[in-house]
Amino acid sequence: MTTNGTLLELRGISKSFGGVKALDRVDFELRRGEVHGLVGENGAGKSTLMKVLAGVHPRYEGAMFLRGQPVRLASPRSGKLHGIGMIYQELSSIGPLTVAENLFLGDQPRTRFGMIKWNEMFRRGKAHLKTLDMTIDVRTPLEQLPLGLQQLIEIARVVYSGAEILIMDEPTSALSPPEVQRLFDIVRTLKRQGKSIIFISHFLDDVLAICDRVTVLRNGRNVATLDASEVSKHDLVGHMLGAGGVGLGEGYEQAMALRSNAAARPVLEVVNAGRGHRLIDISFVVHEAEILGLYGVMGSGHSLIGECLYGLRRFDTGTAILDGEPLGRIRPTTAKAQGIAYVAPDRTVSLFVGCEVFKNVTVAFLKQLVSFPLRTRREIALADRMVERLKIRTPSSRTLVQNLSGGNQQKVALARWLAHPIRLLILNEPTRGMDVGAKQEVMDIVKQLKQQNVAVLLISSEPETVLANSDRILVVSKGKIAAEFANTTVGKDELMRCA
Amino acid sequence: MNVRAVLRRLGDLAPVLTCLALIVFFASASPTFRTWDNVVNILQQNSVLAIMAVGVTFVLLCAEIDLSIAAVATFSGVLTAFLYVQVGTWFPGMPPVLRETLPMLAVIPATTALGLVNGFGTAWLGLPSFMITLAMWLITQGLALSITKGTPIFEIPVVSESLGTGTIGLIATMRPDGKETFLLRIPHIFLVAVVVLAVGFVVLRYTRFGRAVYMVGGNSEAARLAGINVKAVRAACLTICGFTAGLAGILLIGRTSSAQAEVPKDMLIDCISAVVLGGTSLFGGKGGVANTVVGLLTLGVLHNGLNHVKINMYIKESVGGIILLAALLLNVTMAKMKSAE
Repeated sequence: MTTNGTLLELRGISKSFGGVKALDRVDFELRRGEVHGLVGENGAGKSTLMKVLAGVHPRYEGAMFLRGQPVRLASPRSGKLHGIGMIYQELSSIGPLTVAENLFLGDQPRTRFGMIKWNEMFRRGKAHLKTLDMTIDVRTPLEQLPLGLQQLIEIARVVYSGAEILIMDEPTSALSPPEVQRLFDIVRTLKRQGKSIIFISHFLDDVLAICDRVTVLRNGRNVATLDASEVSKHDLVGHMLGAGGVGLGEGYEQAMALRSNAAARPVLEVVNAGRGHRLIDISFVVHEAEILGLYGVMGSGHSLIGECLYGLRRFDTGTAILDGEPLGRIRPTTAKAQGIAYVAPDRTVSLFVGCEVFKNVTVAFLKQLVSFPLRTRREIALADRMVERLKIRTPSSRTLVQNLSGGNQQKVALARWLAHPIRLLILNEPTRGMDVGAKQEVMDIVKQLKQQNVAVLLISSEPETVLANSDRILVVSKGKIAAEFANTTVGKDELMRCA
Repeated sequence: MNVRAVLRRLGDLAPVLTCLALIVFFASASPTFRTWDNVVNILQQNSVLAIMAVGVTFVLLCAEIDLSIAAVATFSGVLTAFLYVQVGTWFPGMPPVLRETLPMLAVIPATTALGLVNGFGTAWLGLPSFMITLAMWLITQGLALSITKGTPIFEIPVVSESLGTGTIGLIATMRPDGKETFLLRIPHIFLVAVVVLAVGFVVLRYTRFGRAVYMVGGNSEAARLAGINVKAVRAACLTICGFTAGLAGILLIGRTSSAQAEVPKDMLIDCISAVVLGGTSLFGGKGGVANTVVGLLTLGVLHNGLNHVKINMYIKESVGGIILLAALLLNVTMAKMKSAE
């Protein structure tokens, strides 16, 4: 068999959700032994296309050919039987079980009597990891490994189950730079073994570093399939955004000049706050009409600060002072009442995906917005204004949130805090997994809030996001504030060096 | 309207269609089923259940369960009758109004407090509602037994008796002998049930608390992130359930004209299955009082109708179970068709 032969071909795939067209006659070709990047803005249809490919969405229009044969995948199981393995953004492994058990999930080696052969399982698990150049104690409970390693185990598991085509959805978004390199090593090993990989990512540098070809989706259509060696990041952004949006991509590359106004009134003061060994002696101030960027890599503790300030977790030591009043023990209910708003990193956790857009918009300030009896018409009118203001792409305010794309869902999550005046807005990874255009739209809204004297705490692991939007930046590293940048010009490399 | 919209409507209407189908079937199969007396009968038989089902609707909507309802209702009835008797012996000269109302004024807060205990244990102590309400079932059952010591109490408040068995007529007519009589008699107990159902409906649909119940049941973590007091909502739902069980118990002794410590057979299961049959999710966030009404009617018609058709009495319960299963399957299938895009 030739190494460049077509392994998989999609022709004219279309798919809609509740009137929202997610895919529009998409053609796609994957060769044997190829790493094929898939990029596009949020809502461009990347995830949907891959779910069709994995058999998660059995109802679609169009045709699929695997090794030249037409196939129709009716379920994730049939996708698996055809050798298509999906590695999701959210890991689907079982934390308390050992590495080996996770590798053999559902298919452990057993004796005649159905008893699990533990020793054989450990031995075979170790051997299998070795074929991928991984040396990990297979007896460790999975949850005790760092996230990056867990992800590699997940990949190993899918490979072991016989997958010829591996679909990786944002595999690098939660990884530190050395972990990304490690992932790339594994991807190259898999490629040598003749596996084909579809690499979905917003991190265009990563895509260009590892992929052979790149397909760009825009508004559910395949707008280009390019050789990765012949295309620049700038070109990719151009294809993703279409005409007119090219300028957006460039700003992120430049160093940003920070201008802060230290004379402004402090809104939130955190004094000597700590939590176990995860947060140590954290002190900082956020002023009125200021966006304070809190940058750190995953697990550095920057995200935890946000959780503690909204009362989802607690500082063991130290105090938080809002407008001169010590906050005492913070709970989400009291935090909200005092004017603290919080946007969580995980949309699936913070939204009522089975509810309509308008209910998600009014939920936080229902008390302030409507009185007894609740009239959905008033709520919808209010939500309609938010949809317009935030440019949320939805057929109506009555559409269920689960039918919106990720970026639009995030706007809904933000919208609920705009319905009533607030003092402090905590954005915890607000743009994770979002494309450039949607990020820009979300941050534009945040800047409008800033104009209304709201203090904003922008917590992010994406240096571009922090740089492009902050007035002042703190870098959190291993639970401590490692650096502060104010009234200076700072670049991405400098931030990342401090983290 | 396209096919999808029709399907969506049908998905919502599945429980209603099931109910109508059962009514049509029994009405055509049995002439005794399709009489006004029997309609009154069905309403009367299911009103106590309906009152309890309102509380259960709240509890299921926030993704909890209450297994103690039937036992709490029984305990409520026994305690009411016991206090009625005791008040009569302790204060023989007490005006009837006080003697009637005092037991109820004591019992309703007591069962509401039991509900609060369930709620507190579930929300703040983190006990699964399944377990704490199971414990409450045993506790209240034991308390009821220790009060009656196995002997039914036949002296019950007049108010209970009147609410439990009385009726009012809608249309007054003169009989040939000159006496006034009423057509289309409506049982009192049914009117009480209607009021409770209506209040439940309004609370769930038109109050912020009601919305919070749906939100907590739909995604409790999201509710917490939105600053909803999730624990208080959960506890409140279980407390409401204690209240409705207590109220149901007072009417229950009126229906049977006696207070007994034996928990009525199937009361708990009927109550929960009526709510679920109407389309309220056992996993929270979906459904409501309107669904519960449909579920109650379906179950009521089924139980009643089976007595009006010729059927082997030994196998009757199994037939009822099979019809129930078919109805549930239909609901689930229709709901799937609705959610499929």
